[in-house]
Amino acid sequence: MSTAMNFSSKSFRPRAPDKGSFPLDHFGECKAFKEKFMKCLKDNSYDNSMCRVQSKDYLECRMDNQLMAKEPLEKLGFKDLMDKHSQENKEAKP
Amino acid sequence: MLLPILVRESLCCSKNSVLLTSSNIQTSIRGLQGKGARGLHSYAQWFLCRRLPSRLNTQIRGAKSWKSQTKQQEDEWRKRNKTVLTYIAAAGVGMIGMSYAAVPLYRLYCQASGLGGTAVAGHDAEQVETMTPVMDRIIKITFNADTHASMQWNFRPQQSEIYVVPGETALAFYRAKNPTDKPVIGISTYNVVPFEAGQYFNKIQCFCFEEQRLNPKEEVDMPVFFYIDPEFDEDPRMARVDTITLSYTFFEAKEGQKLPLPGYSPISLHS
Repeated sequence: MSTAMNFSSKSFRPRAPDKGSFPLDHFGECKAFKEKFMKCLKDNSYDNSMCRVQSKDYLECRMDNQLMAKEPLEKLGFKDLMDKHSQENKEAKP
Repeated sequence: MLLPILVRESLCCSKNSVLLTSSNIQTSIRGLQGKGARGLHSYAQWFLCRRLPSRLNTQIRGAKSWKSQTKQQEDEWRKRNKTVLTYIAAAGVGMIGMSYAAVPLYRLYCQASGLGGTAVAGHDAEQVETMTPVMDRIIKITFNADTHASMQWNFRPQQSEIYVVPGETALAFYRAKNPTDKPVIGISTYNVVPFEAGQYFNKIQCFCFEEQRLNPKEEVDMPVFFYIDPEFDEDPRMARVDTITLSYTFFEAKEGQKLPLPGYSPISLHS
């Protein structure tokens, strides 16, 4: 945090996260998903767009293990992935 | 009554010698015994360095008309004084009112201009659902990790950089290890550089601002789930910004210590 003593100087104000803080994963329950995600990043030269499925899996693991508040994944910005998923399901049905 | 006049005279005309002053006093004392009121007055006038106001000279002549004139003048002055006092009182009250009004007005101004780093109003938590990624603007996010000097954790990012686009949620990891033999509680805060990009950097969930306890020799992964606001692409000031650096710093927290958190209440977390 910067100390800004003069009127016009801009100082950065940290904002609290929208959904609060992640509880720590002391027992490494989701470590496997994290490793998959990191591997995907390394393989795709750290491009986040290519690894969104893995990040979704990691967050789902967290929710299943009480390490994150359960929320529909659309609210976490995975709407396009969920749409694709439901579309694939529809196609696979008949 | 003569004494103050004499004192004034001796002070005023200091170049006179003491002898001369005493002789003057003697003659004036003799004068006091022999002369009438008017003579006394002219004596005093002759001694004084300063001229008496001419008003006093005409005091005996036309006293009546002068009195009514002064009464009129006095009334006028009184009225004028009253209006001036009213204006001054009104100005005083106005200034006090303005100083009370300044607080919300300044807050509004800061929000509108973004001065002082206040978050521009309109950051909507619901927009995560509806935002569409701007695919043609790729931004590199670099990560930095710091600890306070007395904090013994090994704290580092697990990826040095990540490429995201505005409007897309991204996940990043930090790792922290407690090499000591005692459990340590840490609290972290973050910083975003460049400064103007900080208002577009929205964290959905992270590990900051809350106490995190690490047992001895324990190592954990700490995720940060964030996104860059899609309006980043439309801001002309951000046109040349391609790299944003997210920097976390861990501090050691003592048991039961409460950090002043920026508008963050633990109650809302668990709702």
